[in-house]
Amino acid sequence: MAKRTAAEAVAEKSDVQVGLLVRVLVAAWLIPGLGHFLLRRKGRALILFVSILSMFVLGVLMQGEFFALHSASYLRTLGFFGEMCVGVAMPAARFFGYAGGDPYFVTSDYGTAFLVAAGMLNALTVLDAYDIALGRKP
Amino acid sequence: MVISHFTALLLFALLVSVVFGVLSKDTPRDRAIYGAKVFGAFVGVALLLGWIMYPVPW
Repeated sequence: MAKRTAAEAVAEKSDVQVGLLVRVLVAAWLIPGLGHFLLRRKGRALILFVSILSMFVLGVLMQGEFFALHSASYLRTLGFFGEMCVGVAMPAARFFGYAGGDPYFVTSDYGTAFLVAAGMLNALTVLDAYDIALGRKP
Repeated sequence: MVISHFTALLLFALLVSVVFGVLSKDTPRDRAIYGAKVFGAFVGVALLLGWIMYPVPW
């Protein structure tokens, strides 16, 4: 039986690491804090989950607007991508009946800012999970 | 949910500060101190800008 070479062992370990990295990144995007949870940073995961989801929920309560992918302006399309960075929360809110906000509601502008900011914070969270998975951060 | 401008500012600053603190520092103490500094900076700068804009007529 042929022995595995050192190069094969390194390649297999590299494949496993890439697989783990992809799982962590996708999980971190889909649910805020889940990437940190998979990397066994449970305290940080809980804080990030509560903070980012609280921001999203507050945005919904303030009747923030859900942007659409195909919008008349580039800024609104960017806003869509910003809101999608929060993961499954936006589709879940639509599924449970949130119609995308009322732009004429008195706090709608603040709500929209909260929704986009929640997505941006989750983007930072994904990048942090990436750094932790690569061993760059504790 | 109808809240005042200042309440919205405080909530936003609080949640962003918590996340920034958790992501930027490595120890719980450092995270808390940095998060408090970021929160103070958010609120302080907002109040400062508000007063700077106060004399502006439009």
